[in-house]
Amino acid sequence: MRRFSLSWQAGLWAMLLPYLVGTLLLVGLPALMSAILAFTTYDALTPPVFVGFANFRLLAADPIVTTAIGNSLVFILLAVPLRILGALGLALLLLRPRRGVSGYRAAAYVPTVIPDVAFALIWLWIFNPLFGPVNVALGALGLPQPGWLADAETARYPFVVMSVFQIGEGFVVLLAALRGLPREYFDAGAVDGAGRWGSFRYLTLPLLLPWLALLTFRDIILTFQWTFTPSFVMTGGDPYYATMFLPLLTYEEAFDRFRFGAGSALMLITFLLSAAIIGGIYLLFRRRGYTADV
Amino acid sequence: MRNPPSRLIRSLLAAALALVTLTGGVAAQADSGSVSFMVFGDPAELAAYRELVEAFEQEHPDIAVELIHIPSMSDYRLRLGADFAAGDPADVVLINYRRYAPFAKKGVLEPLAPYLRRSDVISDNDFFPVATDPFRWRGQLMCIPQNISSLVVYYNRGLFDAAGVAYPSDDWSWDEFLETALALTADPDGDGMTDQHGLGVDPSIFRLAPFIWQNGGELAVLESGLRPIRLALDSRAAREATEWFVALQTEHGVAPDALAEMAEGSESRFLNGRTAMFLNSRRGVPTARRIDGFEWDVAALPTGVQQAGILHSDAYCMAAATEDKDAAWAFIEFANSPVGQAIVARTGRTVPSLIEVASSEAFLDPGAAPANSGVWLDTLDTLRTVPVIAAWVDVEELTGDELRRAFYGQASVDEAIDAMITRTLPFFAGEES
Repeated sequence: MRRFSLSWQAGLWAMLLPYLVGTLLLVGLPALMSAILAFTTYDALTPPVFVGFANFRLLAADPIVTTAIGNSLVFILLAVPLRILGALGLALLLLRPRRGVSGYRAAAYVPTVIPDVAFALIWLWIFNPLFGPVNVALGALGLPQPGWLADAETARYPFVVMSVFQIGEGFVVLLAALRGLPREYFDAGAVDGAGRWGSFRYLTLPLLLPWLALLTFRDIILTFQWTFTPSFVMTGGDPYYATMFLPLLTYEEAFDRFRFGAGSALMLITFLLSAAIIGGIYLLFRRRGYTADV
Repeated sequence: MRNPPSRLIRSLLAAALALVTLTGGVAAQADSGSVSFMVFGDPAELAAYRELVEAFEQEHPDIAVELIHIPSMSDYRLRLGADFAAGDPADVVLINYRRYAPFAKKGVLEPLAPYLRRSDVISDNDFFPVATDPFRWRGQLMCIPQNISSLVVYYNRGLFDAAGVAYPSDDWSWDEFLETALALTADPDGDGMTDQHGLGVDPSIFRLAPFIWQNGGELAVLESGLRPIRLALDSRAAREATEWFVALQTEHGVAPDALAEMAEGSESRFLNGRTAMFLNSRRGVPTARRIDGFEWDVAALPTGVQQAGILHSDAYCMAAATEDKDAAWAFIEFANSPVGQAIVARTGRTVPSLIEVASSEAFLDPGAAPANSGVWLDTLDTLRTVPVIAAWVDVEELTGDELRRAFYGQASVDEAIDAMITRTLPFFAGEES
């Protein structure tokens, strides 16, 4: 039994090894080098010069950095709950077998596989302040027509709306999780007189909590990065930095202005912010919910 | 008696020797006779560069040119920076005079003055001095300018005719410019939304600069008359010009507001016949030549207290990392010869920097729009340049952000000017020009 266990372990390691090596070489090592660059000034034309925390001090004094951090946090605050709720709602809606459900499930997933640039261009048209269908519809209903991407007050919201349409992966994960929930719990709940809401509140939700936590962690990381393509393609950070998010600013610092030190420092800030938020959410989730094995 | 095995060995040796000689020869030829050339531009420009390369290869059959084409100018700039950063740039690249300084400062460009001195095809005197001067870094010519364009007014003759407005004259004033723009701004369906704008302009410091100079102002404060130390937009003359420029949108509404500009850019509006005048350099000609719905032409910028225009110029630069510098220079020399410049000028994209070609039919073709191409040559004496400093790109970006706020009524001109000066101050520190 022991020998079998060892070979099983060895087999797991053997299967994991290529991925581990790849991650180390293609992610870990570059990330480490980038973290080191954060403490240098480096334009890629001349050798890097160690400057200690100077990049961080300069970034802290730059109001655009503060704005970008604020924009990214607000975006996460709005987008992540909506994306998780959207995925959960769709999964619950499309859980039961019924006529055409496969088609609906595919339709829910389709926006996720649209290439990011194409997706951004579609929404650029949808939120066109004069000719876009959203404002044309609002106008036809006699409602106010916001400037959307042209107005600093409203420019962030189209990004949130867009992100809520790309929830295919979360939807699939939650659909699988829902289908795996033990039927007996719900039968027992029904015997005890639990209605649909009670069953959802006291059984489905706690049982799904580990999945929801996992999706939330993943979504926070993903959402931090997700803003890059739409902000790059649709607004370039305009109007007046209203859609300047951390990934776009990092890109501009590093690859547009060739200040790789500052760009790396911004990357490190993004990493630490993500870790802090995930840490906070972890503490929130830690003592809640239970697993199907309970 | 012949020994078959030794014959076989001799044959094999001979074949191997021939192979080594052949491959060695090919390698030597490839090493000494290949040039990579990176450009940007629309399909018409690409066709011209292909023609240029073919003509060069006919004249220099021993040198192969690899043409690398990046369609978008912004992508081109990113690629350029990334390639230099990677230490693997194309041998010959096109760079604007506002953007070559960081590369010159880092020593990644090969100074071309010594090559030009040795050339028996072209010389410094063949070029308009206003084109070559901005490409002198620390007194040495770094790149050979391809064109000598400047900002002009593109106008839709059909809209002028329909409104009964006279075409722009060579010496029209700011007031006449505004009156014309007002007369051509219209809301024919009366829904409160302007359907036709008199003017389209990118609210950037690069577009504003000639008006500041025309009003007697300066872009930058110079230390000891040479080194720029900060923006000079807070002078009375510069402030007045900025206020006038901003008021074109905020007060007079002749240019699209932020919403309208977001919905459809000014250049697109002009090309679609819904904007009467559009400020652009010669760069707009290849695209404008595809207009078939109306006739268009170009006119000089209006004149303020004095005449002033702004230079738009790209140059052929050689990367210092180029292995075969003689081959790269041969290509640059050919591209800037009368034959080479004429090929590119025929696309309409460039105002040739060679005096001889600028006055030739390759540029002043009476059969090709715009009819008034001569305006680019007539205003040469009034052209000025922005400060050539390594961080100018940063300055343009930041000032653009602030100027847009003022232009679209989201900040006062005073606020924008203060922010432009304050925010760009760090970029002038330690600069040379």
